[in-house]
Amino acid sequence: MSAYVVVAGDAGITEVINAAVKVGGPVTAIVVGSADLAQQVAAPGVDRVVWLGDPGDKPIEAYAPAVGALVVAAPAPVLSGRKPAERVLLGGAAAALQAPVVSSPMDVRSDNGQTVVEHGVFGGIALRTTAYDGPVAIVLDGGAAVNGGGSAAVEQAAASATTSMTVTSLQPNTATAADLGSASLVVGVGRGLKAQADLPIVEALATAMGAELGCSRPVAEGLEWLPRDRYVGISGQQIAPEVYVMVGISGALQHMGGCRGAQLIVSINTDKDAPVVSQSDYVLTGDLYSLVPAITAALS
Amino acid sequence: MKIVVAYAWAPDPQEASVGADGQVDFSRAKPVVSEYDAVAIEVGRQLATATSSALVGISVGGPATGTPVATKAALSRGLDEVMVASDAALADAGTTRTAQGLAAMVQRLGDVSVVLTGDSSVDSGSRMMPPVLAGLLGWPVLSDVQKVSVTADGVTVERLLREGVQQVSVTGPVVLALASDATQPKAPGMKDVLAAGKKPVTKLEVADLGPAVAEGTVVSTAKLTGPARKGIVINTADPAAAAAELVGALRAAGVIGSTGGQA
Repeated sequence: MSAYVVVAGDAGITEVINAAVKVGGPVTAIVVGSADLAQQVAAPGVDRVVWLGDPGDKPIEAYAPAVGALVVAAPAPVLSGRKPAERVLLGGAAAALQAPVVSSPMDVRSDNGQTVVEHGVFGGIALRTTAYDGPVAIVLDGGAAVNGGGSAAVEQAAASATTSMTVTSLQPNTATAADLGSASLVVGVGRGLKAQADLPIVEALATAMGAELGCSRPVAEGLEWLPRDRYVGISGQQIAPEVYVMVGISGALQHMGGCRGAQLIVSINTDKDAPVVSQSDYVLTGDLYSLVPAITAALS
Repeated sequence: MKIVVAYAWAPDPQEASVGADGQVDFSRAKPVVSEYDAVAIEVGRQLATATSSALVGISVGGPATGTPVATKAALSRGLDEVMVASDAALADAGTTRTAQGLAAMVQRLGDVSVVLTGDSSVDSGSRMMPPVLAGLLGWPVLSDVQKVSVTADGVTVERLLREGVQQVSVTGPVVLALASDATQPKAPGMKDVLAAGKKPVTKLEVADLGPAVAEGTVVSTAKLTGPARKGIVINTADPAAAAAELVGALRAAGVIGSTGGQA
């Protein structure tokens, strides 16, 4: 067996490499990004690094056909993280290989020449184990950044980007990127909070705990009270902290799918019948406006 | 010129039930045109009107996808016509098979400038369909699109990424996956619903979609079990006492330090 890891401008691929190693080596990393990134990707577990180039004024997505052309020359399972550009490069590979796509793997292994994937289905409400005879495209959480230390040399490949797309401007995001995935304490806020002006109540709790602040999807996407990289859920951040304190979050599947790995879940919610109640270690049913400040006070 | 919107007629998994053996029962979950797809149709309507293009919905799915209820629901959102392939053989089709069917439809329609999709499908949610569709068409693709405007030879899009707000100019045809808040879709009115019944529906057969891709073989299914939760209910009649009890329990578990903060 062999496997490809597709890298799109970001070294956060530890979990992707781990899964590729389980699919079976040799592992070839296909990199779109800076020369430095290509060096970083030469990490333990990676046998070969093929660098397609620095995108310059092209979006990384413009390299999807180049990735497809590379993998179709020697078909094998292809894995990537699930950031936007990673998904596009992986999609280019899946299309070129006519390969099925599987997401949210819990476990990956090689068995008698088949790639066997244990994965969530329908947004993670049930588990399925599926065996693939041929190449398959696997999309998963990338994990922590890698930083070289492996034995692979970086080979530069003659690849060209699609010429029909050009980045004409980028206004950098001034907010610091949240790193909820590796936080050991997280406080999440949902629509139980009545107004954006009340956010400091929850922020104070996060500060007192030394926790990262997260939220439910509507708080980030519909209401836009917090940046999108702070929402926890199947389609958002997947977190596995030691404690996750859920404030005013009902616990819909979409959200719980993103925090299943939390060691302890504390829920603070007015509805004693909310789905979160049966999925919590500590349940505080009541008004968050009195309970949250009380917990903040008890911590300090 | 045609502008195409790929949509799904799918139930929300949150309304499905999962058996002890991991079998998913959708019988009580009602299929819908998801909010994400409604955003794509609304943006498509605006672009089609601005460019005097026809707005065509395309969908690949199980038998329910081709029912009048389903096609009218999509058409009432503002599509001019729809093309659907609905068959039991497509009910559990994976991303690549679905994308293959959609690509066949785009090629059959011809003269398509843009294919729009929602942010993610309500049922699978892997957000992989637009990239695979674009790969099969040989077109570029961009996701997380907030704004689209049509230019002389293509489109300009604005995307909200982790790195910031990116503007990309694209020449020629393109697949665009819209952010869930790219626009606020309007609920269809009575007039829209009545008009939907008179709009054209084209039905394709499975054979029209090209040979199926090899899907994997399902070896087993299981109910997803998270870590067992303690379910300890703390009395909140006195918020201060409740807070003290919680903080005491977390400190005893060694997950927060004795003066707050991390252990």
